[in-house]
Amino acid sequence: MVSNLTRRYRRGGKTINAVDDVSFTIEPGETLALAGPSGSGKSTIARLVLRLIEPDAGGIEFEGNDFLALGSAALRAQRARLQMVFQDPLAAFNPRATVARVLDDPLRIHGIASRAERPRRVAALLERVGLSADLAPRAIHEISGGQRQRVAIARAIATKPSLIVLDEAVSALDVSVRGQILELLLDLQRQERIAYLFISHDLGVVRAVAHRVILLDAGRIAESGDARDVIDAPQSAIGKALVAAAPRLNRTRSLGRP
Amino acid sequence: MNPLRRFLRTPEAVAGVVLLGALIAMALIAPLLFPGDPQAIAGPALLPPFNDWSLPLGTDRLGRDVLAELFHGARTSLAVGLAAAAAALAIGSVVGTLAGFAGGLVDEVLMRITDAFQTVPSFLLALAFVSVVGPSLGVVVAAIALGTWTGPARIARAEVLSIRERDYVASARAIGMHPLEIAFREVLPNALPPVLAMSSVIVAAAILTEAALSFLGLGDPNRVTWGGMIAEGRAVLRTAPFLSIVPGIALVLTVLGVYLTGEGIVETTAVRRGLS
Amino acid sequence: MTVLASIRDLTVTYRRDGSEVAALKGISLDIMVGDCLAIIGESGSGKSTLALAIAGLLPASARIKGSVAWSWLSSGAEAPPSVLPDISPARGEIAPSSALSPITYIAEGEPSEKQPISPLAGEMSGRTEGGVTERQPFKSEPSKIPLGGRDIGFIFQDPSASLDPVMPIGKQIAEVARTHLGLSWPQAYAKAKTLLERVRLPDPDSALHAFPHQLSGGQKQRAVIAAAIAAGPKLLIADEATSALDTIVQAEIVALIRRLVTEDGMTLLFISHDIALAAELAERIAVFRHGQLVELGTTAQIVGAPTQAYTRALLDAHIGLDAEPLLNQAGLHA
Repeated sequence: MVSNLTRRYRRGGKTINAVDDVSFTIEPGETLALAGPSGSGKSTIARLVLRLIEPDAGGIEFEGNDFLALGSAALRAQRARLQMVFQDPLAAFNPRATVARVLDDPLRIHGIASRAERPRRVAALLERVGLSADLAPRAIHEISGGQRQRVAIARAIATKPSLIVLDEAVSALDVSVRGQILELLLDLQRQERIAYLFISHDLGVVRAVAHRVILLDAGRIAESGDARDVIDAPQSAIGKALVAAAPRLNRTRSLGRP
Repeated sequence: MNPLRRFLRTPEAVAGVVLLGALIAMALIAPLLFPGDPQAIAGPALLPPFNDWSLPLGTDRLGRDVLAELFHGARTSLAVGLAAAAAALAIGSVVGTLAGFAGGLVDEVLMRITDAFQTVPSFLLALAFVSVVGPSLGVVVAAIALGTWTGPARIARAEVLSIRERDYVASARAIGMHPLEIAFREVLPNALPPVLAMSSVIVAAAILTEAALSFLGLGDPNRVTWGGMIAEGRAVLRTAPFLSIVPGIALVLTVLGVYLTGEGIVETTAVRRGLS
Repeated sequence: MTVLASIRDLTVTYRRDGSEVAALKGISLDIMVGDCLAIIGESGSGKSTLALAIAGLLPASARIKGSVAWSWLSSGAEAPPSVLPDISPARGEIAPSSALSPITYIAEGEPSEKQPISPLAGEMSGRTEGGVTERQPFKSEPSKIPLGGRDIGFIFQDPSASLDPVMPIGKQIAEVARTHLGLSWPQAYAKAKTLLERVRLPDPDSALHAFPHQLSGGQKQRAVIAAAIAAGPKLLIADEATSALDTIVQAEIVALIRRLVTEDGMTLLFISHDIALAAELAERIAVFRHGQLVELGTTAQIVGAPTQAYTRALLDAHIGLDAEPLLNQAGLHA
């Protein structure tokens, strides 16, 4: 649960509210989407929820605890329950890392498996996200973009989190890969009851995978509700603009043209 | 392609490796080729080169074998150059990484210390340090490192400042990695390439600084150094210029070798990074 | 209908780590005058390489076989846009190559001229670097090759990388006009101001003196477009020009490109990974995959009745606002 979250930036003497008094809750096993134009505060909220940056005001309650009150050691331990997948999987991994190391880190840090057992767990994680365990010794930059994003998801689920923040996690992928990754995410959600905070600018994708959506405009909530209801009939100005701007592929209409 | 082969394809790298290889070989075989004290008297004083084949490069004012001194001097130059550069790079990258990664007060304090060191000319600093503590190999190494770690520190800090904003650092924090592990395992290795690119310049500068200190009589008195040899020859520069010229040439070739090798490495890694 | 550029058996290979990677394999394609052609494909399809090859902007490390023949330069190299035929909606078939005007420009082998792009950058698609005006075409007879900036306007994906960060926007646009149209500086600045008005930058007067960092992403891309059309090019190439922008700004930029192309009678080559976006803008679509041309047809044909399985797969993968939700709503309490 997030309440009255505010994050300010000071730029050229002016104070800008990147996130302005935003409150929402995410239920276990639910996908809540954050959508809006660039600069609307989507990614800032993602980083605030994970405490990668600190809010200027407001509170975050996670699994019944005051998340903002955690000290640094307690926060690090708590991070096991709250994970993130980034937009660009190449940028989200140490360029020197191998697949095995990337997946080994969370297991080691949170003491999930002994040193001897970890290679087996890494292999199991790779298989869980539909990759071959043979990929483990490969360097991150040697595998394809789709494989990389699967590794990123495997890393996120390694610590059995209850919430994963997906920050434009499928936006940089080729469309043919995007569908498979979305299927994988939904499959994981069904099996492990993971909640997703799904950040995207693509309303088509949001409508297809999210239960609820929050439309943001300039750091404020413009509209929220059931994802299909909101996107099929937006009420706010930004909602209407976003829906109008989404490219449409009207295959039947196109067929009718000469 | 294998990096070593690509490395050996660049002509400057080959030239550098040849020069540096010759220097290392000289340093390694010096005790075999010239056992005993190179500072012992071996023949008549001021024998010119190429006169006596047992003393091919002649002798100095005290009758010491110049070739033996040259070989043993290579040991000192190489040891001091590499050790001082390694120390400077190690101190510099650790200080730079901590400053850049921690930010805030830590950054402020560390960078003001760096400023303080940088405002004093590094040679004067080394000179003062050796004069106070007394000349010995370790002290000379420390003195040179003291004046040169600031460059690597600044470069490392600048690199770290950009790297710590990258997604993979955020990602490491998100999985709960300890900040020190992030700094030294995720950030530092990626901040190193530009710092290491400086290493050839630092090694070359360290060799020259060592030579200059020895020239001023502040080198380790128990070791032969090229700087010391040049200083020795200075008194008889008009009558026996070879005594200064021979170690001078050795010094120039060494610095050139180090520098070219460094260039070659930078070239190779740059190509590799550009392709990945 | 006249052929603007005729691409025949174009193969482009990049050398990488000693081995050769073919980015384009034997592509033959005609771009018609007044065409509005979209090149779509996923990463590695070769679509950006094609754009760079047509513009003559491939890095020196690329090996090029085949030909790109231009027809406009044979009859009066400075033909004003007004003499171009009307854009007729009925086009779509590949024109027979006999319709080709005398070939004036054939690139064979490697570009030998010094390229401003370093070979290191050759692996990148090129869209992230370099200025709009600064690249050089292949070496050939200087008067008969299409000149980047004058004959071909190029819009890259990342507007920040296309603009010089330390030069005012107005000067960057005026420079293009001055270089290619032979205007004096005051005339070029006047032209730049008109262009900024045409691309609908708010407050063109202050935008003239603004630096790139003072503009938003969408505004920067408008400025890049202004520079790209400054010399009145006959061909405008937009390489993923809207991919770095959000949906709303993307729609605005697409509308802007559409309007400018119609007004100036330019030929448009629109490179994109987004088949829906391409379908909204283009009259013809060419689908690329693994460096090969999979399918070419009118937008209606490609979208409505694709003949190739890959095209169908691309269409099916599009998740529009009317798509069936992937989410299984059952079993959720929210």
